[in-house]
Amino acid sequence: MWSYVGHIEWTSYRFRPAGSPPLGMDPLGSRGVLGVIEECFSAEEQEEADEGITVTRNQLQEKVVEMENFAGHLEEIFLTVEENFGRQEQHLEQHYNEVLQTLSQRYDQRAARLDLDKKSRLEVLYGQLLGCGRTMDSSKELIEAAQGVYRSQDRRLFLKAVMPTIQRIEEFAKEEMDLTLSTALEINTTEDDLSDVKTMMDSISVVPAPSAPVINPQMANSATQTSLRVRWNLFSDDTVEFYELFYRPVLEDLPADNTHGTDVCKVKVKETHCRVTDLLPNAQYELWVMATNTTGISPASEKALYMTVPSPPAIKERGCSSCPEAALIRWDSGNNNPVDSYTVEITEMDTHGAQCGAAEAIVAVPSCQCLIQLQQDRRYMVTVRAVNIGGPSEKSHPLGVSTTGTLFHLLEDTAHPCLSISEDGFTMFYGDEELPLSALAFDDNNFARCVAVLGDLLPVRGQHYWEVAVDDYTEFRVGVAYEDTNRNAYLGATNTSWCMRHILTPTRHKYEFLHDGWSPDLRITVNPMRIGVALDYDGGTLSFYNVELEQHLYTFHCCFQSYVHPCFALDNPGGLTVHNGVEAPGYTRN
Amino acid sequence: MHALFDHLNKMALTQVSSNKCAGGYQKVYEHESVELQCKMKFAVYLPPKAETDKCPVFYWLSGLTCTEQNFITKAGAQQAAADNGIIIVAPDTSPRGCGIEGEDESWDFGTGAGFYVDATEEPWKNNYRMYSYVTEELPKLINSNFAADPDRMSISGHSMGGHGALVCTLRNPGRYKTVSAFAPICNPIGCPWGQKAFAGYLGADKSTWEAYDATVLAASYDGPKLDILIDQGGDDQFLSSSQLLPDHLIAACSAKKIPVVFRRQPGYDHSYFFIYSFMSDHIKHHAKYLNA
Repeated sequence: MWSYVGHIEWTSYRFRPAGSPPLGMDPLGSRGVLGVIEECFSAEEQEEADEGITVTRNQLQEKVVEMENFAGHLEEIFLTVEENFGRQEQHLEQHYNEVLQTLSQRYDQRAARLDLDKKSRLEVLYGQLLGCGRTMDSSKELIEAAQGVYRSQDRRLFLKAVMPTIQRIEEFAKEEMDLTLSTALEINTTEDDLSDVKTMMDSISVVPAPSAPVINPQMANSATQTSLRVRWNLFSDDTVEFYELFYRPVLEDLPADNTHGTDVCKVKVKETHCRVTDLLPNAQYELWVMATNTTGISPASEKALYMTVPSPPAIKERGCSSCPEAALIRWDSGNNNPVDSYTVEITEMDTHGAQCGAAEAIVAVPSCQCLIQLQQDRRYMVTVRAVNIGGPSEKSHPLGVSTTGTLFHLLEDTAHPCLSISEDGFTMFYGDEELPLSALAFDDNNFARCVAVLGDLLPVRGQHYWEVAVDDYTEFRVGVAYEDTNRNAYLGATNTSWCMRHILTPTRHKYEFLHDGWSPDLRITVNPMRIGVALDYDGGTLSFYNVELEQHLYTFHCCFQSYVHPCFALDNPGGLTVHNGVEAPGYTRN
Repeated sequence: MHALFDHLNKMALTQVSSNKCAGGYQKVYEHESVELQCKMKFAVYLPPKAETDKCPVFYWLSGLTCTEQNFITKAGAQQAAADNGIIIVAPDTSPRGCGIEGEDESWDFGTGAGFYVDATEEPWKNNYRMYSYVTEELPKLINSNFAADPDRMSISGHSMGGHGALVCTLRNPGRYKTVSAFAPICNPIGCPWGQKAFAGYLGADKSTWEAYDATVLAASYDGPKLDILIDQGGDDQFLSSSQLLPDHLIAACSAKKIPVVFRRQPGYDHSYFFIYSFMSDHIKHHAKYLNA
């Protein structure tokens, strides 16, 4: 600004007509000036002139614009300088006022002190004076007495009085006369300490201490899980030698204005930005800046609140399920404190495991689960990020999802205590051993009579299919149930569950298809070892098949009021295995 | 030559009736049967799909006293057949008007009671050849005269017809894509009906009866995997009078691992009201295999 130099080029243009119009009685006549000029020039000359006029006009216009800009700049400079001077003036005025004030204060103080001094001295002197007066009075009296005695005619009286009087005079004469002034005559003038005034005077010509910097609000995507990028600005044109950035975590149990707590950290930087590291994830920090120069330290800037990005979530593989047209993904937040939302990213994979197609993202997921619409018979990779105002976290570990068939896991907290589940989560056993009563821990969610377990909810309309591998010796129940099916009842005994049941009698195998305690009367000649279960929410059917024979066994026609869970139970010691994620065979589809 | 022309003439069909039904046509034809040596009627339901494509064929064998009419008027199969694009052929239950002495004496033997056997005894052996009629002559006739897919056929029936369907299937492994039955006579050798009929048609040697007994045939079945659906009314008087004996068939199939789903339907009797109630389940069962 100070060194702005405006540069204008002036070129002068003048019209030079090719010739002058003829003068006559009526030099212009009715044709007017332009008419005359027109007449005097030939067409080409006119054209040339026209061109020249246009060019000139354009140039002039440019110049006008430049001038206007220059004028504007000058005005700005003027204003800035005026402002700066104004500020300087203010600043100086303020300073001098302060100095004057200080001096005047000092003067008053000094004057008061002197006054006090004077007063006390005068008092002392006056006291002394009074003392002298008294002494004078008593000596005057003594002299008068002596004179009286001297003048006395009576010799006898004279003799009587003379000795005491002489004695008195002698005594009096022995008295020391203190003729010194009880106070010094000089007035002690102590040197006033005017050093601070001097400092103030000196500092007038020195650069002022900086004003408080302006700390910027957090920029998007500038934070990581453990660091924050903080920026701030100088206030106007302060001179600053370095900055100090203070920060502390904002914890719920500390008062908000605890700026002197022991957990305040400090970083010294020369730039107007800083990356603060070693922070906790998903945490809010309060930051403020102070600028320092040779004169002093600025006041603290406003406090800004920044947030580090959260830690990435962890997808719960056993908590996820999928079906031909959708997948339900569940995850652990990965953060102790709440985050604002989650973002779920889905990428389609080809048969070789490579990415194909662009990634899709579902943002603003409010809770730790998400139902994603997908396409049938594809493979996908899903990752989740946690998001807060600082930005998104790193991606979670990915989960592979296949939309062939329906895949679900068993809800182990619904399992009867006597039911144990294999490590892979798909085989269940009802052990032979009697468990001690203490091991039979029941809560609201697990089955207490029927040795049963629920699979994860199938929350998507359409068709679902899974298979169950069983053996001849195991009495089982396999089917579906509503989430709120009575945990004290047997599967199929209530109207909230439907199942195929295998019963072993001494003579034969019996199969029932139970709902609300009722079963059709059916005989099956080949015992199924692998049962296909096909659920059709829209058609309202639940069908069972002998997979090895591709044989249809039975179909329930129901009207499902809400989504159901696959359910499994063992009525005698034995085991069964769930096979899911398999495509429904053609013979099971309508 | 004469025989040949005769034969050719006898291949000709005469339409007896035609009614539009469920978008297709319920027709009845008459022809001179070679096997049965008499005029025979049969019913054919042609679904809408038959106008443009070859369709699979479902053969229905009716029970005692029935003709080709009972099924087409009472069973209510046409809609399901139309929906699944299946031709339904329903023949008569025996040769008619042959003039055999005693043919009309009983309702459970002779006319209307052919038992789907090839009789070996006089006076029945010339005409009473329902087994060959159903398994040979009729399919050839259907395949040459209608838009039928010769490789896709299945069979079903009620009571005596159920017995016929089971026997045809077990004796011809691989020919029928599937089989089902309504209240079939499962073990004719063991029940009064069967004993009466076989004695009359096949003679006293019970070993010849075994070839027409589904329970016996099942015990020695060796062929492609079957998938048999059987519905039985719980209040069926013939069940309680031991004419039907499904438990015997079930036992034989369990032992031989022949897949059967046998459904006992409480409250239902032996009539076409029972057949009507479960016909769509059976057509669906057949369609699964015919349209695969």
